[in-house]
Amino acid sequence: MGDNKRYPELRRRVSPGWWTASRHYAMYMVREWTSLFVALYSLIFIYGLSLWAMGSRADFLNFLKNPAIIGFSLVALVFTLYHAVTWFYLLGAIAPVKIGRSRTKPWQALILNLVLLVIVSYIAIWLLIFR
Amino acid sequence: MKVETHKIARLHAILWGIFSLGGMIAAFLLPVLLYLTAIAYPFNLWPFNGARDPSFLITGHRLGALFIFVTIAGSLFHGIFRFQSALTEVGLIKYRRALEAVGYFIISVGIIALAYYLATWYLNGTIS
Repeated sequence: MGDNKRYPELRRRVSPGWWTASRHYAMYMVREWTSLFVALYSLIFIYGLSLWAMGSRADFLNFLKNPAIIGFSLVALVFTLYHAVTWFYLLGAIAPVKIGRSRTKPWQALILNLVLLVIVSYIAIWLLIFR
Repeated sequence: MKVETHKIARLHAILWGIFSLGGMIAAFLLPVLLYLTAIAYPFNLWPFNGARDPSFLITGHRLGALFIFVTIAGSLFHGIFRFQSALTEVGLIKYRRALEAVGYFIISVGIIALAYYLATWYLNGTIS
């Protein structure tokens, strides 16, 4: 309690629409809201598994072929890729690697991680489907 | 009080650590799962081509079940954690505690259900 009195938390009051003030803020907010699609897809997938657990494997597969689920999943894929791109760029910005006298740039981390994403995806398919 | 503050700080550090890990999982593993379930299977494209289906991802072998658990649980934690944080930035800061409670409840129920289904299939031999 004493600590709270000595160091009061000061919050700058901003309006709920502060993020519309500039393009940079708007893109930040779009990036944050992509997480909604990541979370919803995860919940939808768990719901699909529950259909299988309480019914049959065919229920799960039919659920995946439902046009509404396909449509939502395609939107979720676009937002997930947007999340991946911004996440990889952010990694390069907050943790640059020092090579000699220079440091790596965020776009270099982005390209490297996108290549890694393709490799990881291919390895996952090979291990999980073809092995 | 000081010990409690340290405990809360440590808990925050752990939660943000899991959040970051979930962000990496969502960035590296979720796109391929979405491709397989939303494009490859419904549209009969590579690697399924009418041969196998997404249920094989889960029951084909233990590695697949582990992949599903890590990808879905990590993405769920990251997504909910980030979304509840985003809501506090658009004027809902006064409901922060309630948002956190609802968020952690959804994360807990989702991860427990996912673990339960996978563990049940593993124990009854559905997952080979």
